[in-house]
Amino acid sequence: MGPAVETDFWKDAARRKIWDEIVPGEKRKTIPYHLTLEAIQRYCRAVDDLHPLYFDADYARRSVHGGLIAPPAIHILLMFACTPADDWMRSPGTVNAGQSWSYNLPARPGDTITLEARALDKFIRKERLFVVHDNVFFNQHGAVICSGRGWTIRPM
Amino acid sequence: MTGIFDALAAGDVIDGAAFAVSRETIRDFCDASLDYNPLHLDDAYMAGSFGKTNFGGVIMHGMTNFALITRMLTDWAYAKGAVHRRLETRWLKPARPGDTLRPQGRLKAKQVTSRSRWVTIDIEMRNQRDEIVATGEAMVEFP
Repeated sequence: MGPAVETDFWKDAARRKIWDEIVPGEKRKTIPYHLTLEAIQRYCRAVDDLHPLYFDADYARRSVHGGLIAPPAIHILLMFACTPADDWMRSPGTVNAGQSWSYNLPARPGDTITLEARALDKFIRKERLFVVHDNVFFNQHGAVICSGRGWTIRPM
Repeated sequence: MTGIFDALAAGDVIDGAAFAVSRETIRDFCDASLDYNPLHLDDAYMAGSFGKTNFGGVIMHGMTNFALITRMLTDWAYAKGAVHRRLETRWLKPARPGDTLRPQGRLKAKQVTSRSRWVTIDIEMRNQRDEIVATGEAMVEFP
């Protein structure tokens, strides 16, 4: 992990938008991210996913992928890797209620990933404040890797 | 490949691997995902309430469920030359250190489109008390 990663989510809390300030349709700030094999494999080990497509270069080279790839759900890492410290997804107390993702191409070690993201909707249900976010990740060739939506309950 | 797709039937079960949740696995997931929300790390913070909800302690990232379900689906799909194309999930109960989670899929339907062939799969994630902690639906393509 690089030294730039901020692990204290309280540090920038005051700079993040609260539910009242989030505008559906408004783009979120994003930053390009260089996806390394180390980051892919750290993610894989954390979820006990040791498939040789992610770890065995010879196996992966002989596969239809022609080389090592990342697992589809690598967007879990990319969501935080491609957003700055003041992004509201980091607000302490943000509760994830569910997500849906579609997969086009696998991400690969060495890719430079970019994200287009926005709040899509916000609503109140059972006294809880919800925001829906939608996201598309691209590789350095402009090809879609995956796209998805998430439902979060915002801190009160 | 045609034979593999033809042999699939509604009701076929896909079993995922068990995953034991601990503070260490949660911390590892923080480092792997860069998601350091205090929901997953801070006992003092989690002693409080969130509106109407009190979790009673730190909880696992919901997206760990997503990752474990994904692993089940990709292990199943890769072995068949198929491609995991979509996963939709809802979290119903939080998971905590000490829980053991196990995902399972059940093939719901097959669909042939103009260019490809697909299966839809219902997903459930259960804990060691057989409580459903997450549900979902997936699509796998058989090109």
